[in-house]
Amino acid sequence: MLRGCVVAIALAVSVAPAHAYEFWLRSQTIGQAYQLREYRLVGPDLFLGRRRYSQTLALRIWDVGDLSRDRRQARLPDRGLRISWQSYLRVDHDFGSYASGRITLGSVRRDALDVIPELDETLIGLDLMYGYLELGGIADDRVTLRVGRVLADDGWGTTAVDGVGARVELPQPIAISASAGVRVRASSPLGNSSYELDGTSGAACREYVEAATPGAGSWKLIDRNRTITDSRFSSDFEYCPQRDVLQPTIGVAVATSRIRRFGAELGYRRTWSSTVGLIGPVDRLDHPDRGLYPNDFGQAPDRGINEERLHARVHAELTRGSVRIQPFANTRFSLLHAAFDRVDGGVRLLRGEHSLEPSVEYFLPTFDGDSIFNVFSIEPTTDVRLRYRHDGLVRAHASTWLRRYAHATGDSSVSGGIEAGIEHAFARKWRTRADALWDDGYGGRRIGTSGELGWRPTSTMWLRGRVIVLGVAPDDRPKYVTSATVVSTTWRLGDAAALHAIFEADVDELYDTQLRMIAVLDLAFAPEP
Amino acid sequence: MRVARYLPMIVLIAGLGGALADGGGDRGDEWSPIVYPLQRLPLIFSHAKHLGRGATCATCHPAAASSRSAVDNLIPTELECRACHPIDRADPEKVIAGAPPAQCRACHVGWSPDRPVERVYLTPTPLKFAHAAHAKTPCGGCHGDMTRVELATRRQLPTMTSCLTCHTNGTNERRCSDCHVTKLGGLIETDFPHGSLVPRHTGLGDAHAPGFANDHKQEARQVDATCTACHDRSTCIACHQGITKPTEFHPGNYVLTHTVEAKRGTPDCSACHRAQSFCVGCHERSGVGLRGRTDFNSVDPARAFHPAGWASRVGGPNRHSSEARRNVASCASCHREDDCLTCHSAELGSLRASPHPKGWRGSTRCRALDRGNRRMCLKCHVTQDELGCDWRAP
Repeated sequence: MLRGCVVAIALAVSVAPAHAYEFWLRSQTIGQAYQLREYRLVGPDLFLGRRRYSQTLALRIWDVGDLSRDRRQARLPDRGLRISWQSYLRVDHDFGSYASGRITLGSVRRDALDVIPELDETLIGLDLMYGYLELGGIADDRVTLRVGRVLADDGWGTTAVDGVGARVELPQPIAISASAGVRVRASSPLGNSSYELDGTSGAACREYVEAATPGAGSWKLIDRNRTITDSRFSSDFEYCPQRDVLQPTIGVAVATSRIRRFGAELGYRRTWSSTVGLIGPVDRLDHPDRGLYPNDFGQAPDRGINEERLHARVHAELTRGSVRIQPFANTRFSLLHAAFDRVDGGVRLLRGEHSLEPSVEYFLPTFDGDSIFNVFSIEPTTDVRLRYRHDGLVRAHASTWLRRYAHATGDSSVSGGIEAGIEHAFARKWRTRADALWDDGYGGRRIGTSGELGWRPTSTMWLRGRVIVLGVAPDDRPKYVTSATVVSTTWRLGDAAALHAIFEADVDELYDTQLRMIAVLDLAFAPEP
Repeated sequence: MRVARYLPMIVLIAGLGGALADGGGDRGDEWSPIVYPLQRLPLIFSHAKHLGRGATCATCHPAAASSRSAVDNLIPTELECRACHPIDRADPEKVIAGAPPAQCRACHVGWSPDRPVERVYLTPTPLKFAHAAHAKTPCGGCHGDMTRVELATRRQLPTMTSCLTCHTNGTNERRCSDCHVTKLGGLIETDFPHGSLVPRHTGLGDAHAPGFANDHKQEARQVDATCTACHDRSTCIACHQGITKPTEFHPGNYVLTHTVEAKRGTPDCSACHRAQSFCVGCHERSGVGLRGRTDFNSVDPARAFHPAGWASRVGGPNRHSSEARRNVASCASCHREDDCLTCHSAELGSLRASPHPKGWRGSTRCRALDRGNRRMCLKCHVTQDELGCDWRAP
């Protein structure tokens, strides 16, 4: 109901006359058809059809009120208050059996969605990925305000909060940005789980229920009724109230600004949530109980932190003769875990058409503060990487990496690999590209190559063919060879419209042939540079 | 692993080092063919001689000081030349002793009376620029020392690097449109008939070099990154939180082959996918999970997904404890927390298998997690006695 109201309001706003502002709108209509395999050890595998229809709408309404029209027409830089709206809305529905099919468990057939609540977003989604009103150019162009569903980035990931964001440019070469609001979760209006901290699921949520005899209780599903209402577009099962609570989030960052060849930022972000507490009527069981989450003892604090992190990043550029030296370092410290979870550093060396970038990366997986996965994850990995790029008439890149897994026992395992690619455009209409990769060590071994040929027969049409062959020897599975043939085309229908089509045929030793088709009608299409 | 396995990597590293050493000149200050499209200037002209004989910039470019647009043609016409040169179209070979050259061929390359004069072609630059606003800046400040220049070409036009010398706030993405023309919606126009405007080595660290589409994290992380001056934010989301398989990043039969990369944890799947939503949903539906229809059965060795001894309490290779410590994200792509609680819960009657490493109690991390969110602890520990980081097992 709520989603319906929001859509109605959004549509009503979007069809309003647009006189005193300019707007840019990009609409993509995407159709996908492919099959996924449902693995069976007994008998042939089943195929699950995916027939997905998606509609995206990116909208920018610029200079609401024409406050900057005179300067714009005079081709002068924007100054003074400017009001704009930016949003990205997405509708996605899967008509195939993958999401809307049924599953036989024993002798009972149930909606796949009821058995696997995670399919909820796959079946149907109406997501506002971001949407905010921006007031720019305030206070002599030093302040920018955003209100709505705003994005926040710490260098390793982007999240969204329903609230406000602000950026203030100080007279000194420093900028302060801050955001505050409620973190976007799957349960948010027009929300999407992709912004949510990982580690908790909306299924199989349990509470500890004490027994009549103290100390003899057990963990039980919160949703014990599991009443089937036969709703087609949402899971009938699974009640997981802690995943529905609001998560207030604040973030602040201080960064250098307007300094050429140097940048640094120090930031902080914290997300917390209150404890659900009472999740059912007291004494709902056949013995005295308090109906509390996560246990009947009511020991949970009023609130808990889901994320609390500091991050810092710095980069610079120096010139020594004909070589540009660009050192960089990024780090993130989780206060919740009292540990660095991300660190990397390196230097990019540029000389003429060549660039070389050695770097080191450190990674410790961390999760939502509500997740017990935080306790299991204790072994970090360290990568050493080297990347080379040649940006000339012939474009080429190559990289090699080595990852070390440090075990708590003191020993370690490694994996590593190399990959390289080269591409060349010739005769103005043709482009060819070849890539190869090899890696080995923990996880398995892969070796493969691909070749691609692009042709532009007319100024409005692109054709591309690609063949990929990859041999895979996983650590714990039989090895196999797979090949893929991809044919794609882009037909530019006009200045602002294009039709893309991709056809992919995968053949492998294990599972024969699988097909995938994607078609995209792209309005307001502009080719990526 | 055997050293020989890494021989290709060693060879590659040596090769890359050699390539850089053999680099060539710096391209950072080169003139963009998109900002300054190729010119055709079939002229003979010497700025050096004219300036040496007392001419000033305004003598030949009188409109420059008042020009407010980059599309204004400020190249002197024949009319301006006539102010000094006694040009007479009726007499193409005219020579007046002591006067500046007036012959047609003196300025027009390859002039011949039986051929039309070769035209000058200058495609207007797609920039916003007002000479008038820069009137207080000496011409040489942007165009260089013209007393050493013969025919002026693009090389006498300022590069972005030189603009940013004064316009220090030009590195802010909100200032890009001060100079670059925009399309509707405020994004920088990048698509022109003569090519696409793509950042190169401009000193902003945003060069779209080969492989950029698959690896641009350092560029995107830069403080004051300028990505959204040209790209709408939806471009990022369409790929990072997209609904179609990015065929560049996940080429070929990736549904089948992703297992190796997922187990390694590289590339970082969590950059785009939430394991407990995206991965679990697909794995369960594909029969690789615990809740959906599955033929896997850990009790039957012939139908076990994991190798024998996987669930053993003893650690080591091919034991789940080692894998979980190493990359629990790969576990979380199929399992939910309740699967772990089956054995790791402190519930009475369960295995009460502690997942904590030695020294956990009393550790900084234990205290930080307990202080930050005790709800997590309560998912396993059910008695008051076991909470906190100071308790000791009896």
